[in-house]
Order: sequence, then C-alpha cells, then structure tokens
Amino acid sequence: MLPLLPQFICAVAETAMAKLIAMDPDAKSRLARLAGKQLSFRLKEWPTTVVLSATHETILFNQHDNSVDCAIVTDMASLRLLRDPSQLTRLIKADALQIDGDIQVAQQYSHFFQQLNPDWQQRLSLYVGDGAAHKISQSLLQWQHYLSQKSQALAQMGGELLQDELSVSPDKAELAQFSRAVSDLAARTDVLQQQLAACRES
Amino acid sequence: MTDKQNTTHFGYKTVAAEQKVSLVANVFHSVAAKYDVMNDLMSLGIHRLWKRFTIDCSGVRPGQQVLDLAGGTGDITALFSKRVGPTGKVVLADINASMLNVGRDKLRDLGLVNNIEYVQANAEALPFADNSFDIISIGFGLRNVTDKDAALRSMFRVLKPGGRLLVLEFSKPEQEWLSKVYDLYSFKLLPAMGQLVANDKESYQYLAESIRMHPDQETLKTMMQDAGFAEVSYHNLTGGIVALHRGYKF
Repeated sequence: MLPLLPQFICAVAETAMAKLIAMDPDAKSRLARLAGKQLSFRLKEWPTTVVLSATHETILFNQHDNSVDCAIVTDMASLRLLRDPSQLTRLIKADALQIDGDIQVAQQYSHFFQQLNPDWQQRLSLYVGDGAAHKISQSLLQWQHYLSQKSQALAQMGGELLQDELSVSPDKAELAQFSRAVSDLAARTDVLQQQLAACRES
Repeated sequence: MTDKQNTTHFGYKTVAAEQKVSLVANVFHSVAAKYDVMNDLMSLGIHRLWKRFTIDCSGVRPGQQVLDLAGGTGDITALFSKRVGPTGKVVLADINASMLNVGRDKLRDLGLVNNIEYVQANAEALPFADNSFDIISIGFGLRNVTDKDAALRSMFRVLKPGGRLLVLEFSKPEQEWLSKVYDLYSFKLLPAMGQLVANDKESYQYLAESIRMHPDQETLKTMMQDAGFAEVSYHNLTGGIVALHRGYKF
C-alpha cells in the first residue's frame, strides 16, 4: 500500500463529508446525537483502520488503532449489504462481519448517513441562478426516476424470463428419458435399414 | 546547537547565537504572507498529509490541552482544534508575530475561534506552567530554534506526565539516490520558486540549508532522550525527507 494513502483518503472523505453536512440544513441537529461517538471501520482486503469521530459540527476521519465505541471489520462483498439491518445477523453468522463494542453506535452512524440529504439545488443556484438550478434539479430527478423505473422493469423482466425458462426447461429425468428414446429410435432405424437391405437383395 | 563560543548555524553560515533569532525572524516576516502557497507548491500538497499523519500519531481526544509550537499559519492547530472539541484547548504558539497573525486570520476565516489561544513565545523558554499540556507538537519549527536542547527541555517541562511530544521536521533521506534528487531540487529549484512566487530567493536558500544542518533522525532521537523523553521513536515519511519523532513524558 502507498505510504500516506490512508491520510489522503481520510482528508478527502473528511472534506467531502463537511461539505455534504453543510448542504443539509437538518444534518447538524441529527449530528448532535452522534457527537463524541467513535466508530472504526476496516475492510479485510485493506488492512487500515479508519476511525470516524462525530463532533457537533462534522464527522472527522482518522487512521489509528486506539480504542473506539464500536469497531467493524467486514469485506468488500458485504459492504452493500450493511445498509440493510436485517442482513446483519446473517453476515455475522457467515463470518463476513465482525462487530466489537456498542452496535447501536454503528446503527446510529448508518442512520445518519442514510438520512443525509444535501440540498444540491441551493448549492447549484449559487452558480447558475435559482431558475436554472430548479430546472436542472427537476430534470435530474426525472432522469433518476426514469432510470430507477427502467432498472426495476429490467430486473422484473429478467426475473420473469428466468422463471419462464425454468418452467420450459426439461429437468434431468426428462432429459435422460428423451436421450433413451432417441437411442431406441436410432436402434430401430438401424434394424429397419438392415431389413430393407435384406429385402432388396432377395 | 550552540557551541562554547556561543555561535550557531544560520543555514550554512556561522553566526552569533543571539543574532540567529533576528535572522530567522526576518526570514519568516518575509515569507509569512506566501507561506501556505509556497508550502503547497514546494511539497505538491504532501505537507498536509505529513501533518495529518502527525495528528493520527498524537492519540488526541476531546477535552485535551494541546500546544502547537512554532505553529505558524495554523495547519496543525486547525486539525487539533476540531478534535479536542469545545471542552479542549489548543494553544498556537510562535515566536514570529507575522506568522502568528497570518495563522490567526486564517483560523478565524475557517470559523475556528472557540478553543484556540494565540501566544507569541520562544520555544526555549515557554511561558506556561509545568505539566500544562497533554500533547505538544512542533511542525517544521525545531530546526529554526537556536538552542534545540533548551527548547526540548522546555517542552518536557510543560508537558503533563503521560503526555507526548511530536516533532515533525525535515530529515535525512534513507536512499542515496533520493538524497541526490532532493539536493538538486532544494538548491536549484526551491530558491527559484521562492524568487518567482514570493520574490524572496534568500529565504528559500536558507530553508534548504537549514534542513541540511538539522540533526538527522538518530541524532534528534538522542537529543529527545537527553531532554528526558521516554520511548522515543521516529517514523520516516516520503523516504526520510521528513521524519516524525514521538516521545513521552512519564
């Protein structure tokens, strides 16, 4: 791993987080509930611990191994599933997730990130004006809605196709039976061919 | 370091010890306004990562008292200030009033006002009570101090038992080839950049020379141990161009 890469990632994440929080008018009141709590996070594929520390103003990112309120170790594949609380037990049982400490702190952080709702329109209006910002924002929302619908439709169609394919596809026993019938037919054809040849000769 | 005739180094020059303070002061009065721009240019922004690494090694917690010595334009103070929170305190100390003014303006513009104090202080005789701070950091400042041993003893005095000192400073590259590239950069490119951006070639010539005259990793480690610090260790950054020394007071 590149030296100082963890510090670079923490610096970028901290700056981005500060900007996102500044763009969400309600973020600071939600952040107050998290203030003072520390969550450490480590991916099995990347042996560096990143520590998130909430203050009343922002979330700070650091890299150290000091004690924290809750420590999470997981892998890349399980990362997306962490958003769904119902998956946590399954992930822990599958040894894909280790949680050490107060699990509520992890849930509070997860809840905070899910609720983070930056006001992009307001920020955009500083550069292009209110009207244009509103138009762009509406267009993006429509696009997001359209893409979401399309992806849902595609997922549904894929599912249906698989179902249909499964229902018309022969199972193993049917395939074996068909194979036997073809072999029988081939054998009978051979016999008939020999009989015809014998008839022609006589 | 001072010798028996009470002379010291100012870059490659040997000057009277009492003269160094004013010479260094002139350098920093001259570069203060462009200090941050030049830092970013000279290090390609990597100085920010070196400072973050220092914070990561500090073990800082909310509520702690921190002294950022030779804190200059306040980069390390800003990082500490957010981490100690409203119950903690960071003292930004610098011997140079111009640097302190630039630092104070910058931190106020960043909205960092509640837990920071500004003190113009000489590192060799810190104006604080014994056992005052949980953490002391000195970033790129020790090499400019006339009597480094006295400064380290002074830091040891004001540090609380269990507290730690972090010295972030230019040091000696680990590889010979890197040393050569670094020399070329320091003595050819750096003064030219100083002339171009800050209209001050001499100050950046001094910077390059003062780095070469600064004790190497092992020497500084011994100096810290001699001042009373325990469990002194160092971590080379960017091939040893910079080293972070850490020591504890027990």
